[in-house]
Amino acid sequence: MSVPSQRPAGRKVLFMATCLCDAFFDNAARAAVEVLEHAGCEVIFPEDQTCCGQPAFNSGNWPACRKVMRHAAEVFNGDLPVVTPSGSCAAMLFHGAGIAFEGEPDREVIGQLAGRAWELADFLVNGLGVPSWPGRFPARVAFHQACHTRGTASGPAALRLLGMVEGVEVTPFGEGDQCCGFGGTFSVGFPHVSTSMGQLKLDHVRKATPDFLVSGDMSCLLHLGGLAGKEPGGAVPTLHLAEVLQKALRDDG
Amino acid sequence: MAEQQIDQFTRRLDGKVRRAVRENSAAGTAKRAEILAADYGDPTPLRRLAGEIRQHAIENLDVHLAKAEDSLKRNGAEVHYAVTAGDACRVVSDILSRAGARKVVKSKSMVTEEIELNGHLEAEGIESVETDLGEYIVQIDGDHPSHIVKPIIHKSREDIARSFEREGLGDYDDDPETITRRARAWLRRKYFEADAAITGANFVTADSGRLVLVTNEGNSRFCLAATRLHIALVGIEKVVSGDADLAVLLNLLARSATGQQLTVYTEFIQGPAGSGRPSGPRETHVVFVDNRRTEVLASDCREILRCIRCGACLNVCPVYRQATGHAYRGVYPGPVGAVLTPLLAGKDFPAFADLPKASSLCGACNEVCPVDIPIPDLLLRLRNRAHAERLPSPGSPPMGPFAAMASRPWLWRMALRSGRVMDVGPVQKIPVPWMRAWLNTRTLPEWRGGKFRAWMRDRRKGGDET
Amino acid sequence: MKDAREQIFASIREALQTLPERKPHPGPPSGAADPRWLAEETDAAALFLKRAAAAGTKVFTDAEACADWLRGLSARVVLLAENVTELTVDALSFAEVVSVFDRNDPDRIDASVTRAAAAIAETGTVVLTDETTPDRLAALAPWTHVVVVRRGEIHRSVADALAALPDDPNVIWVTGPSKTADVEGILIQGVHGPGEQAVLLI
Ligand code: SF4
Repeated sequence: MSVPSQRPAGRKVLFMATCLCDAFFDNAARAAVEVLEHAGCEVIFPEDQTCCGQPAFNSGNWPACRKVMRHAAEVFNGDLPVVTPSGSCAAMLFHGAGIAFEGEPDREVIGQLAGRAWELADFLVNGLGVPSWPGRFPARVAFHQACHTRGTASGPAALRLLGMVEGVEVTPFGEGDQCCGFGGTFSVGFPHVSTSMGQLKLDHVRKATPDFLVSGDMSCLLHLGGLAGKEPGGAVPTLHLAEVLQKALRDDG
Repeated sequence: MAEQQIDQFTRRLDGKVRRAVRENSAAGTAKRAEILAADYGDPTPLRRLAGEIRQHAIENLDVHLAKAEDSLKRNGAEVHYAVTAGDACRVVSDILSRAGARKVVKSKSMVTEEIELNGHLEAEGIESVETDLGEYIVQIDGDHPSHIVKPIIHKSREDIARSFEREGLGDYDDDPETITRRARAWLRRKYFEADAAITGANFVTADSGRLVLVTNEGNSRFCLAATRLHIALVGIEKVVSGDADLAVLLNLLARSATGQQLTVYTEFIQGPAGSGRPSGPRETHVVFVDNRRTEVLASDCREILRCIRCGACLNVCPVYRQATGHAYRGVYPGPVGAVLTPLLAGKDFPAFADLPKASSLCGACNEVCPVDIPIPDLLLRLRNRAHAERLPSPGSPPMGPFAAMASRPWLWRMALRSGRVMDVGPVQKIPVPWMRAWLNTRTLPEWRGGKFRAWMRDRRKGGDET
Repeated sequence: MKDAREQIFASIREALQTLPERKPHPGPPSGAADPRWLAEETDAAALFLKRAAAAGTKVFTDAEACADWLRGLSARVVLLAENVTELTVDALSFAEVVSVFDRNDPDRIDASVTRAAAAIAETGTVVLTDETTPDRLAALAPWTHVVVVRRGEIHRSVADALAALPDDPNVIWVTGPSKTADVEGILIQGVHGPGEQAVLLI
């Protein structure tokens, strides 16, 4: 994973909500905005934003991916940091883009966006240096690190943040570093393998009996939550990391 | 709806086999992590270094290969080249027939699997016996290995005991110790009967002209102790610049493959044993095999040539753990196979273009790879190639319409609003195959398209007023 | 028609031509491959014994104890290599002592005693060469194998041992007894080589 070494980290940020939050998880996006604001940021939401291009990239349709990414580069132009509550969308910008645009004339343009992309937890901890978090959220949480944050600072940053919140107890679970089985189009192209992977993850999570399954990526939670919804084991309440931080803030009132 | 082959294979797979492979693989992953953490803390810098060593080797292959050839010749080995799998087989049978050799013992080698050497030798009337225990069992069963390092990960002791009984190695006994002893006695006879030994090589050093071979069982050692003619088949990418590179590579190979500091037997072969020695080959032949490696070198996936065949990416891969090795329909299963098999297929690429799709792109393979191969990136490049060649991909939603929408903000906003119909109609009836594939085993949350945007707009208005 | 060698080199050069530049060698690893605990180990012999034992090798520092162990295994026929002086025919008087391996009767010998060329402390490995082990079979085929190592011959690390690899048709590093986990992942010793591997450090 190539993470840019120098990224802008000012307190005025462009917010990329992600297509999943745009369609399903407005609560997570709201929480992310409130969390950023609490950290002293002015959050700008460019209205014309759509998607980071990842679905097309992962399915191998790179011309389509580039089309979407070019649009994103226009929408998020400038030199402000671009912050997104998703490790995989951030990785699409700073890692995937470089591959999708190999040999393209506008590689530099995309590279400029790549050099400003942050995943939310990484931005809070390593960009802004947030030292502590107010409020309380008494809960046992199982933290699932999204696979696309492997090799980035996001996983440790998320755990740091959870550790800052009074009352949060992070409980480990079996094979914690295994994938949830989502993988975008993989989940529909290979439904049997994908479902088996997810069920294995859910089994491990359930054994740890957390109050919430928390992740920095709604895509993993969409999959695991969706699976749990159909299983006899029943629903597993899920929260985005930002929602945990938001709940703590509310408690702080 | 057309099904992806790997998904179908997995669905039909025997639950016992599946569990065995998953548990064995998970144990392998845990052992690897444990020893690397104990010995190196964070192994990533070392993996990166190993990756650079191997990348250097393949990006300077012309130089190193020529040097390796010179060094090997200086050491008394004969060097041959083979462009295709068929050529490689012919080179081997020519050497054997010149020596009048009719019986061969073989030490486990992936490249000989790749060129299907055993079948070729058999057709020529030459007996070729695999001596690695796992490979031997694969051979007598007429099966295929399902893991690079653990070829019979998919077999139970009962399966093996039945095979041994059938082959006349003794009455049914599924005690692993007994199985091993019987194989020891039987293969010992084969070593002493054999006229020649065929091996692969894990590395070849350019500066000193050494073939490096690692085994835990000692079978390659026995092959090279009992026979008088040694033929080593070596993929051209196995060359490294020199002995000094091996410190990093050997330390990582054993830990990544089996969680050992070093493999039990690490053998460095420079050439034939001196005349007058009571054991060891009188002739050493090295056959450098291309078999499309130069095509891989020319492609944008050349990093896969760094691979040192440790199997760690198989062990950690959540898809391999569910699907098991045979699902990948090739010599190399798992993540490395998903990259290598389509590339080595040449014109038959379309027949294997589904393999790179069988991945959630979770990146665990890259994280454990001792030579830091960016496997997910290579899978993506192959997906892109499949798309560019307009190959069908069962079950995948088309991305053209999506991109059209996602590059036009007004269309996007409209779609967000209209998506709400999903909450009204019975979603299970949606006539889109990939949606059904999702909904068969998963629910979808309530559609809340545009809600976040509305909230942001309201706040801005509210903010303006105060 | 071009010969195979020419054809392969032409394809390699053609493939590499597309690279804007070739990756340089990262340079000698200078200790990068050493386990982090290696620096604290100052006594190479002690480390060698510890690591060898961890790899499943029986370790002896006393010839008599080693002979006793062989006796205890009821080794009836022992091969004693000619270049071994640390164990003698007298010390092995409980057994028939031979000096030549007979490939027509490979299982007649219960145990063999041969000389190592060197050893590696980091991994508890013994290094055999054709020079010091002229008959490879003698050190491999018997169920029990004892290697005699001299203290002065121990390399500290794998990297050191590689830097000192001798020019010899065949150098083999042996780290423990022959083993497999092919059957259901269960560890079994003594597949093709020794089921009992021992060192006698003098
Ligand atoms: S790709 Fe890497 S992890 Fe997989 S077998 Fe090759 S070296 Fe090992």
